[in-house]
Amino acid sequence: MNNNALWIILQKLRIPLLVIIVTYSVAILGMVLIPGMDDSGKVYHLSFFDAFYFVSYMASTIGFGESPYAFTYEQKLWVSVCIYITVIGWFYGLGALVSAVTDKTLKFEMMKSRFRKKVKALENDFVIVLGYTHVNVEIIKKLHMANMEVVLIDEDEEKINLFMLEELKRDVPVMVGNALLTETLQYAGILQNNCKGIIALFENEEHNFRIAILTKFLNSKVKVVAKSTYDDISKSILDTDIAKVINPFEVFSKRIDVALRSPYTLVLENWIYGNSDLSEKPLYLPDGKYVICGYGRFGKALQLKFNKYGIEHVFIDAKRLAHHTMIEDGSFVRANPDDKDILLDVGIKEAAALIVGTKNDIDNLSIVITAKKLNPNIYIIARENTMQEVSVFQAADIDWLFMIEQIYINKASMALVNPVKHSFLKLVLKQEESWVKSFINLLKNQVGINPLLERLDINEESAYALYQELQNGVDIEIEVLLCSLKNRKERNPALPLLLYRKGKKILLPNNVNLQIGDQILFACTRESLMEIELIASNIYELHYAKYGQEKENPILRKFFS
Amino acid sequence: MNLDKVISGFFFILAMTINFGFFYGDIGNPELHSVYELFAALVVSLISTVLKIGDKTQLGAVLLATSLVADIQLIGAVTVWTVTEYLSIVDVEAFAAIISLSGGALLANITSVILYIGETLKSKR
Repeated sequence: MNNNALWIILQKLRIPLLVIIVTYSVAILGMVLIPGMDDSGKVYHLSFFDAFYFVSYMASTIGFGESPYAFTYEQKLWVSVCIYITVIGWFYGLGALVSAVTDKTLKFEMMKSRFRKKVKALENDFVIVLGYTHVNVEIIKKLHMANMEVVLIDEDEEKINLFMLEELKRDVPVMVGNALLTETLQYAGILQNNCKGIIALFENEEHNFRIAILTKFLNSKVKVVAKSTYDDISKSILDTDIAKVINPFEVFSKRIDVALRSPYTLVLENWIYGNSDLSEKPLYLPDGKYVICGYGRFGKALQLKFNKYGIEHVFIDAKRLAHHTMIEDGSFVRANPDDKDILLDVGIKEAAALIVGTKNDIDNLSIVITAKKLNPNIYIIARENTMQEVSVFQAADIDWLFMIEQIYINKASMALVNPVKHSFLKLVLKQEESWVKSFINLLKNQVGINPLLERLDINEESAYALYQELQNGVDIEIEVLLCSLKNRKERNPALPLLLYRKGKKILLPNNVNLQIGDQILFACTRESLMEIELIASNIYELHYAKYGQEKENPILRKFFS
Repeated sequence: MNLDKVISGFFFILAMTINFGFFYGDIGNPELHSVYELFAALVVSLISTVLKIGDKTQLGAVLLATSLVADIQLIGAVTVWTVTEYLSIVDVEAFAAIISLSGGALLANITSVILYIGETLKSKR
């Protein structure tokens, strides 16, 4: 019996039903047994039907009058008793029914079964998002753009109600429930084949770890995207083999690393994330002393990078302790960074850059304002914890804004929507600056300053023509896809960036024969993308692109020869 | 001893016995079948149905089903009785229909009591 809701109602209505049955039958029996008198003064007894009819309208207070004849005093005596017992029984029953229908458990059960039905009906790939937060909503929007469905769970009913007010492109099934329980995850469809991922960005990182473990055992095909900023938790999460960890501090310190090592790579990275185009000037961090406010997880991640490049730096933090050697060599000051004298003490006037990275946005802004007054030319990198204050931060004239929430949004959506893009980014980050520089020039010359990044899967659905030819054993080189359909000797403005074949990654594939199951990442324009898709899916266009002549249509040939 | 069990067992068996009391007798002779007994059979049967609600086990579901069958048969018998009486078409055929409907209800009630006894014997406490 799956229909819990009905059972809950029935169980709650047991006593009211019994009361109604008993009161009715007592009243009916009495009415039948007590003798009445008809118009002509003869004694008669109500039949069971008469009695049932009378009691029915009496109990429901409809009251059509005494029937079939006016009652005698004996009957009236009994009726006055009946009125009280049946009417009370009836209203008790009605009241119980209303309270059972509006019952919280019942509503919860009904919501659960509705949710379950909706999740089961999902046909596209979908992702389970845990918790309604600003960040998650942005991720949901990105997933919707990529034609993926989303299922949302939150523990708080109020939050679910607020979420319903969000304007989203698709219907998102929502459920109130504790995401840390296996049952809830099963309800959210984690066992389904089209469940592709689960996003756990809880503040409490133990929860994220728990989700990763549960998912591993429930369905190891589901990819977990979890937030974790502590090393030991991150390691445990990664040990499940199915999870991707997002550590914003790590991400940002890597960016600093890239910026110090190879500024051009950062331009490329920003383009891959869709934050800017390739014409952006590479960013050169200034040489000199760095002042860093905050020596927490963020500060420690930065420290590794600064030590690696031998950059002079000093940390200021009021609460945390550092190793005594750091204090001795002057790279740590235990004080409140939002203090003019302290900033002067650490040499803000001569410093090249200031990194404000405390977890309080207002503190960060206040430090920026003070520092700007003391040294108007200083290069400022600021950490912004929540996106609510984004306009204030923009007004503060900060050189490089490090938005934690933006990192979650970008990383989580990219990992789930476009894993090929993600592996391309990883490969690019490993390259030398000279390679990146020439690669950017190549992209700019061949495609344009802001190429689209699109993926083509070689399968029956999205590349029908290619699939058919490859099935027949024809060799097709990747260059065929790049031919212009107006003149196949010309090349369309497009560049294959990465070919992903069963875990093998080929960067900038060249003269590679395609295989079924390949995934190719292209940098292209809107027009060239259309032609690529046309060649991949239309047998005539593919024939032209490959052989330079029109393919003869076997049916038409029959007619015309 | 569980008072709930006593009450529900009482009503299950009472539903069967009263039903039998009404059913017993010559099928064509209205004088041998009291209308009060039919009324009592219906009421007790309804009560035992309500008592069976809420048991979500497989056996509980079957018990509820048999009880619903008995209710429907008895309501059918009552309806036939009422209609024939008020349309003054009391004949042997109509009366036989009433009695055989209650006979069907009796079978359902017997099934339900057998299941109930079986469950009781199975229980180790």
